[in-house]
Amino acid sequence: MKITVCIGSSCHLKGSRLIVEQLQGLIKENALEDKIELVGTFCLGQCQTGVSIKIDDTLFSLAPEDTKSFFEKEALTRL
Amino acid sequence: MNDLCADIGYNSLNKFGEELCGDHVEVIEHGDDSMVVVLADGMGSGVKACILSTLTSKIISTMMAAGMSIEDCVETIAQTLPVCSVRGVAYSTFTIIHIVNGREAEIIQYDNPQVIMLREGKNLPYETEALDLAGKHILKSRIRIQEGDIFVALSDGAPHAGIGVTLNLGWKRENIIDFLETYSHVGFTAKTLTTLLLDECYSLYGGKPGDDTTVCALKIRKREPLNLVIGPPSNPADCNKMMSLFFSKEGKHVVCGGTTSGIAAEFLGKQLLPSLDYYDKDIPPTAEIEGVDLTTEGVITINRVLDYAQDYLNENDSYKQWSSKKDGASRLARLLFEEATDINFFVGTAINPAHQNPNLPISFNIKMRLVDQLSECLKKMGKKIKVSYF
Repeated sequence: MKITVCIGSSCHLKGSRLIVEQLQGLIKENALEDKIELVGTFCLGQCQTGVSIKIDDTLFSLAPEDTKSFFEKEALTRL
Repeated sequence: MNDLCADIGYNSLNKFGEELCGDHVEVIEHGDDSMVVVLADGMGSGVKACILSTLTSKIISTMMAAGMSIEDCVETIAQTLPVCSVRGVAYSTFTIIHIVNGREAEIIQYDNPQVIMLREGKNLPYETEALDLAGKHILKSRIRIQEGDIFVALSDGAPHAGIGVTLNLGWKRENIIDFLETYSHVGFTAKTLTTLLLDECYSLYGGKPGDDTTVCALKIRKREPLNLVIGPPSNPADCNKMMSLFFSKEGKHVVCGGTTSGIAAEFLGKQLLPSLDYYDKDIPPTAEIEGVDLTTEGVITINRVLDYAQDYLNENDSYKQWSSKKDGASRLARLLFEEATDINFFVGTAINPAHQNPNLPISFNIKMRLVDQLSECLKKMGKKIKVSYF
């Protein structure tokens, strides 16, 4: 599985760094380094609704404080 | 065109307790490869000295850049400067370094400490010819310049540093030369060399400079072009035109902005690979594109580079930050301030609808202003700037 986090200007200001750091932590905690690839991207063209994030090809919009529940609900269930 | 140019840096310490500096440095570029640099030290200190040195350096640099002779300059100054009511004379010492056509340095000195010249890291004594102009004893030299030559002009506050505080007789010319020789090999920019020398003077003075102290360094170097593209063109149909102009330019290539780097990667037919390494928590990570020297995010990164640039022209305190860090803003600052001499900005004027949100501090006007302010700062560092809009 590939999780892509937008690190463009808008998303950066809306907190993509906090999401990246939390996801890195969660992937490590659950020992999923082999199963989940975490990458960055510049601008997904959805700046208004950022932080933009993709699980494989599905687009989501995420706020930093919801990262943990998002990871449990959307990422873990798809593995 | 000659491929040599001068990197210039200068700064002053004010006499302890003075608001104004009695020394003044003025730089005027004229023609493609010529510039006049004047360091003037006004008599006394404070307001009076400041007026004298500002007038002297402005008059000389403007007249020399317009091609007038040194005789005319000195005569004009003698007739223009206000006469001091206490001492009955109008007086400001000066040093002129005139880089002519990127080939020759003409040095004209009046009563300032003699300009120090380093070639290949070693002090190079040079010949001077004495002139008597309007009763003033003036030294004149002409030197053919080479890559790596360093010229350092000083006001007398520098060799006087530490008299009676940390040293009995002050910091002699030989000591200053030793100091400069030690650092000249490292490859510091003229500005950094200036900062190092002034810091040393400041500590010799025990933090209380007894006189205005000014250092102005010129370093002769090869031209190093750099091209920076930021923002997509206002008409999306112009993407290819903008990118082919950009990539056809000689020198390094820097791409700033998320959308812009996507366009550049597509143009080159290469992958855009962003990293997730936050070397600075406020600066978005950089990315890699094969064939591009540096790819960064846009406005946030440039905004930080502008902060560094403004500081570089003043105290240069943030040097410690950007000189070694790996985030996009630090890397871009090093490329722009230290490496490049000729910078071409390719500015796309498309409006990013997402940035027109009042909650985001990155509107279109801000982007345009950032580029304007940054090019102003870079010009003050002695760089040649060209800005094209698309």
